[in-house]
Amino acid sequence: MRVRIRVRYNAPHMRRFDYFAPTSVEEAVSLLQERGDGARLLAGGTDLLVQMKEAGVHPSAVVSLHAVDELRGISDESDGGLRIGARTLMNDVAAHETVRGAYTALAEGAGVLGSTQTRNMATIGGNIANAAPSADTAPPLAVFDAEAEIAGPGGTRTLPVIELFSGPGSTTLETAEVITAFRLPAVPDHTGSAYQRHTPRKTMDIATVGVSVKLTLADDGSIGDAAICLGAVAPTVIRAGEAERALAGETPSDELFASAGELAQAAASPISDVRGSAEFRRYLIGVMTRRCLGIALERAQA
Amino acid sequence: MTTYTTVGKPIPRVEGTHKVTGNSTYAADVQLPGMLHCKLLRSPYAHAKIVSIDTTKAAAHAGVERIVTADDLPEFEARYMSNRAYNLLAGEEVVFHGQPVAAVLATDATAAEEALELIDAVYEELPAVFDPLDAMRDDAPPARAPVGEIDRSESKGHVTVEVEEEQSDKPSNVVSQTKFSRGDVEAGFAESDVVVERTWRSAMMHQGYIEPHATVASYDPISEELTIWTATQGQFFVRDQISRMLRIPETKIRVIGTELGGGFGGKIFLTQSLAAVLTRITSRPVKLVFSRSDDLVGANPAGQCVVDLKTGMKNDGTVTALQTKVIYNSGAYPGAPVVIGAILIGGYYKFPNLEIEACEVLTNKVSVGAIRAPGAHNVTLAIESQMDMMARELERDPLDVRMQNAVEAGDEMPSKAVYSSIGLKECLKAVQDSEIWRDRNERPATPGKRRGVGIAVGGWLGGLQPAGAHVELNGDGTLNVIVGSNDITGTNTSFAQIVAEELAVPLDMVNVVTGDTKTAPFAGMSAGSKTLFTVGRAVKAAAEDVRSQLLGVAAERLQAKVEELEWKDGVISVGGDAEKSIKFRQLAGITTGFGAQYPPVIGRGAISARQQAPGFTAQVAEVEVDEETGEVTLLRWGIAQDAGFAINPLSVAGQMQGGATQGMGIALWEEMLHDEGGRLINDGLLDYRMPTALDVPNIETYIVEVPSEDGPYGARGVGEPSIIPGAAAVGNAIEDAIGVRVAEAPFTPERILRAMGKI
Repeated sequence: MRVRIRVRYNAPHMRRFDYFAPTSVEEAVSLLQERGDGARLLAGGTDLLVQMKEAGVHPSAVVSLHAVDELRGISDESDGGLRIGARTLMNDVAAHETVRGAYTALAEGAGVLGSTQTRNMATIGGNIANAAPSADTAPPLAVFDAEAEIAGPGGTRTLPVIELFSGPGSTTLETAEVITAFRLPAVPDHTGSAYQRHTPRKTMDIATVGVSVKLTLADDGSIGDAAICLGAVAPTVIRAGEAERALAGETPSDELFASAGELAQAAASPISDVRGSAEFRRYLIGVMTRRCLGIALERAQA
Repeated sequence: MTTYTTVGKPIPRVEGTHKVTGNSTYAADVQLPGMLHCKLLRSPYAHAKIVSIDTTKAAAHAGVERIVTADDLPEFEARYMSNRAYNLLAGEEVVFHGQPVAAVLATDATAAEEALELIDAVYEELPAVFDPLDAMRDDAPPARAPVGEIDRSESKGHVTVEVEEEQSDKPSNVVSQTKFSRGDVEAGFAESDVVVERTWRSAMMHQGYIEPHATVASYDPISEELTIWTATQGQFFVRDQISRMLRIPETKIRVIGTELGGGFGGKIFLTQSLAAVLTRITSRPVKLVFSRSDDLVGANPAGQCVVDLKTGMKNDGTVTALQTKVIYNSGAYPGAPVVIGAILIGGYYKFPNLEIEACEVLTNKVSVGAIRAPGAHNVTLAIESQMDMMARELERDPLDVRMQNAVEAGDEMPSKAVYSSIGLKECLKAVQDSEIWRDRNERPATPGKRRGVGIAVGGWLGGLQPAGAHVELNGDGTLNVIVGSNDITGTNTSFAQIVAEELAVPLDMVNVVTGDTKTAPFAGMSAGSKTLFTVGRAVKAAAEDVRSQLLGVAAERLQAKVEELEWKDGVISVGGDAEKSIKFRQLAGITTGFGAQYPPVIGRGAISARQQAPGFTAQVAEVEVDEETGEVTLLRWGIAQDAGFAINPLSVAGQMQGGATQGMGIALWEEMLHDEGGRLINDGLLDYRMPTALDVPNIETYIVEVPSEDGPYGARGVGEPSIIPGAAAVGNAIEDAIGVRVAEAPFTPERILRAMGKI
């Protein structure tokens, strides 16, 4: 058997590229349009630079968003919701009072990503656009039915965050489109949420499994609405629809949460890789979904 | 008890501020005019025949000066080819994934990297074998062409043992084995009230130094001299090896051991020979610096190990018999720590009957090197787990049974060597008195979790090697200490303490210099926990020599006899008489200045070391286990270690904490993972996980001091023991918490859940 070499471990390295620092979204879009598929957007750089140095990603142009001030910041929306600029830093998301109070799962996701240093560079838009199935802010954004605002050559559009992902590292964004913000709908009273992930280490790690849930209770204490989103157990983050439906209208109990955990397990299609076997991941989904539901319930009742 | 003024005091490392402020010069920082950057093309297969390597396109790439393959290299005698260091680039076959097959030399690193992708190498895959048990089967494919005589020059620097391995005579992947026996194991098991028999596995792991391998070599064709700046624990070893390989006299080789970003046994001799050959080929300086991925894929990690162990104990807690087979996976070249593993597994307790067999097996993984206490943690996991299991079975206290059976001075090792003074029992006593152990049943677990406490011991025999040192008195009364040992653990700080103590001067008057191989007195590699134990003695002898020279000068000057002189607070006087006295500083002046009448004071110390001073440790770990997720949290840790005499207690405690932390890594995280083709799949520090500060609990240190017979002030080696028992202690704590035993380290949540039958 004669096989040609598959180059691997040959000192992956960064190559030369053109660098742009536009000051507006329009300028960024037109640069992206000009440079086509060879261009990559740079936000915090905590994913892109590592990929350029170590994972064979070699863009011909890098368009940095660091000078586009309009992309940064968190503001209240008139409908009671929240708007988070795509270039908002993870640590700013995690520390924001409204995020912590009303969108707790998102604060938890943003607060565990990487390390303090990473979170002072990484942005929420970058975390989503990078489209890793393990992205810590993706399941929380999904359970809150967040929408992404997208600017492109043809103008702006919005899309539910969950519909942005098309596979590991790939999105449904068109060439030259830029995520500019996330809009989170207002959260009804008696809502609680949580995000938990399993990592081998306590910090500086990436989710082997991530689970986010959101529960809204009806006046009688039964579950009015439930959302469950799983990370790192399928090619994209996924909603566990059957588990969500099984919870709706029911009275919360350990048994109910355990059976929701089982339905969530069935929704996943995990792979075996360096961070854990498919079996282990599937097992953890059950435990973690049940635990997240318990935490979200306590928060909803508080 | 002797009172000391400087030794025995906690002193921050002299080079510490440079390191933490980024002002140290490492090998990778060395830049020379005309220097070429070397990047290596590595094999994508674990075992393959090299059909062809076409470098035409790569050679034409801008900036590329030269591409070197095995065809361009000097040929070495076949008897040396079992030594990885002689296999600079793969010739006919590659025997592990990541083995270098070509070296690109370019004017900048980027050009060299780009050229790598233009090399067209064609391979023919050969059957490969990765697990040592598979490799031992009669029908196993050979991991590589048969090796000749095994060159063990490097491993002898780590531990000195008087036992020779038997080498296999028929072609086999088993390249060496060692056997020890004592008494009659069958009779021993027959009189046992409990017999435990298990198979223990521990993973291939990396030493985890923060600085990847780096060497800059420069050959001067006019003087025919070779200068090498390199990150090594043993500059003289590098010099000697290169001299032998390239047939250059040692006078023509200058090895400069740069500041080290950690070694842990893994930085001895790896990149230097290739860099030396490349600079000789090109007559230009060559820089070879590994990336993190290069280092994980292609350096010399610590090997995987499988231990079959059967042990017996009587109802009264007395150990009866031990029977074991220890199998080290050596990777593609020999070098596994077979003998030391065989000694240690039966060397902690007084087993009256034992039968130990240890062997080393070749596979198509990267070949192993040393690590802090090479081979010790693997066998300790087995014996220290089973000591607990037997105690549990008999409902006896696990610490008591260890104390009852622990070896002490005069006891025989399995090799029949006899222990000198050792502190195993004293270490156990220190743990017994610790609050972590004493109150182990008093602390409640976090709701939803189970708490457990485990102990384990470990020991290391230590290395021996002759060493020299110079101490020179400067004109202003300060002192230069010149040694040849590379400082990886704070040894230079301790040498300064020794000289300050012996000459009764303030510490800041002493400056320790690690010279290079052309300027420094000889020292062995900084390995085997022997630097302070051997070089420290030489430094002490050199300081004593300075003292006697100075007393001689003072006696002549003061017209007195040496015996009448008193040395106090920097002043030498005749019986304390201020009128008849001379200051240390004045003595310095009259031995160096213009027209000075006395010869300069140059102290010489040269020692040989013949008696090992084994270092023991006992450690206690408190953990919490989440029974639903299999997650283990380390809550508290205590380590007792016999330092003999702690010349610098701050350094000693640092060594204890550092080694304990590596032990925790072995217990819970560190494992090099390979795919079915033998390719490393965690070639970065995200997925090759070492514990972070948040994963490691507070580590209490209990320094035990049972003086050694030969060490300076009674000191013994402290570098290595601390890493040894971590995995066993955590495994014992996990069983204490959840009643389940996991027999493969690291104890990942997945392995724990499997042992519990949950997945």
